Amino acid sequence: MYVIEHALLNLGKNKGRNILLGVITLAIITATVVAMGIFNTTRVVIEDTRAATMSAIRIQPIGRTQMTGSSQQESAITLEMHQYFAESLYITGADISDSGRGIEAVYYLIHPDMLGAFESDLRGRGLPDAYTVRTDDAAFASLVAPIENLQSLSVAFLIIILVMGAVIMVLVTAVSIRERKYEIGVLRAMGMKKKSVALGLWAEIIVITCICFIIGMGIGAALTQPVTDSILAGQSQAAGPTTLADRINNAPQTEAVTVDVSITFTTSLQIFAISIVLASVAGIISITRITKYEPIKILMERT
Amino acid sequence: MKCLELMDVSYRYEGSKDYVLKKISASFEAGKVYAIVGESGAGKSTLLSLLSGLDSCKEGTILYNGKNLQEIDRDEYRSKNVGVIFQNYNLLLNSTAVYNITLSMKISGDMASKEQAYALLKNVGIDRETTDRKILKLSGGEQQRVGIARALAHNPDVIIADEPTGNLDEKTEAEILEIFTHLAQEDGKCVIIVTHSDNVSSVGDVVYRIAGGKISTIG
Ligand SMILES: Nc1ncnc2c1ncn2[C@@H]1O[C@H](COP(=O)(O)OP(=O)(O)O)[C@@H](O)[C@H]1O
Ligand SMILES: [Mg+2]
Repeated sequence: MYVIEHALLNLGKNKGRNILLGVITLAIITATVVAMGIFNTTRVVIEDTRAATMSAIRIQPIGRTQMTGSSQQESAITLEMHQYFAESLYITGADISDSGRGIEAVYYLIHPDMLGAFESDLRGRGLPDAYTVRTDDAAFASLVAPIENLQSLSVAFLIIILVMGAVIMVLVTAVSIRERKYEIGVLRAMGMKKKSVALGLWAEIIVITCICFIIGMGIGAALTQPVTDSILAGQSQAAGPTTLADRINNAPQTEAVTVDVSITFTTSLQIFAISIVLASVAGIISITRITKYEPIKILMERT
Repeated sequence: MKCLELMDVSYRYEGSKDYVLKKISASFEAGKVYAIVGESGAGKSTLLSLLSGLDSCKEGTILYNGKNLQEIDRDEYRSKNVGVIFQNYNLLLNSTAVYNITLSMKISGDMASKEQAYALLKNVGIDRETTDRKILKLSGGEQQRVGIARALAHNPDVIIADEPTGNLDEKTEAEILEIFTHLAQEDGKCVIIVTHSDNVSSVGDVVYRIAGGKISTIG
């Protein structure tokens, strides 16, 4: 169809303007890739943390849901008993310490599913019914809180980029289409229909967006890992050394909080859809604003 | 046969309370050359934009082959039935002369033939070397000629020209006028030319004058 052919020819005819438009689009797409990468990373970190804390087990007296440090009842289980419990085959290890104000003990399951088997094992080893064997909720809460902060940070970052990106795209497209008012007027005067003019301009925008998407994916993918690493590093420093978190992190099967970020196919598709929608909305707003006039008005209003 | 007919047409620009055209009536037939004269600011270009469907006529009626221009698809009317030569050319500046012509053919739905485009350009005195240059790099006179060739590219019934020879030397002017009279007499086109030049108005079978928002016939 000649409209598309005309659009493709136009791409090459206005290199300066198209490159400017492309650079801005590229920046927005790259930022989106990084933001989406970080968002997906925090999700992975939270899942990992949940898996890790699900493996951290405490023994608590019935009637107390949260472990709040030393307690007289818990000290009823002796250090020797804890050490005996730690010989269970369902765990990879345990942290047992006597601070002088009471014994604290955390056991690390080989797999979160083994909680039941571990409990039976402990009962066999003489754990009284007055004690429950449960996951370390306090540790999960304290570990996940900073990561959830990070995740909401990344969501905010993504929203800011998308909103700012949308505004910038609308403005830039509006300016670049205003510059082409004369050309649009000429096409309309020659009898090209509004729909065709709009389709041609849209096709140009979409081609530019697709090129920027490919380049932006490359740059974004390269940037996401270092950005993620530095944010995670900053986050764990900001969180400070919490004893529970440290213990979880030191646990044998708990990965340190570094995550290999990869932009998945789904993520790329989402970013592609976002880019196309942003560019189309920006384009359609500007195009309809100009093509609604009679051709003579578009031609006369050239400035 | 009446090709275009104005009936009680009035026009004023948006935001202006003065009428440029006041209830004017006139008719244009196929096979004739019409010259429209009048002082600067009289409303000649305004009338042409109404006749060519570039603007809509909200008061009064313009008929093209008996059909109300307000009721037909004016995009199609411009692309197929009317060829306009603008005072300021209105060509695609970043495209070549030949592309301006072939695009006009494509918009009208015709098969675009480069050979035909070269022939049209040659007819208005644009040589082969110039046809492949961007409009930006052409002189005013050359652009005017490309504008004329483009107006003829889709073989319209009506040719409307606003000062089409204003930028041409006398010899070229004579050649262009020859083309216009040929189009009317041999091909049966309706040719409407706005002009300041007596040379041009002398080829008009009918000369209209616009003054004070009214139209009248001269001679
Ligand atoms: N876009 C416009 N808005 C308001 N007034 C206009 C506009 N274009 C032209 N006019 C006015 O309409 C009158 C007729 O203009 P025009 O048709 O261009 O005259 P001509 O072509 O005969 O010189 C002039 O007074 C001009 O100032
Ligand atoms: Mg004029």
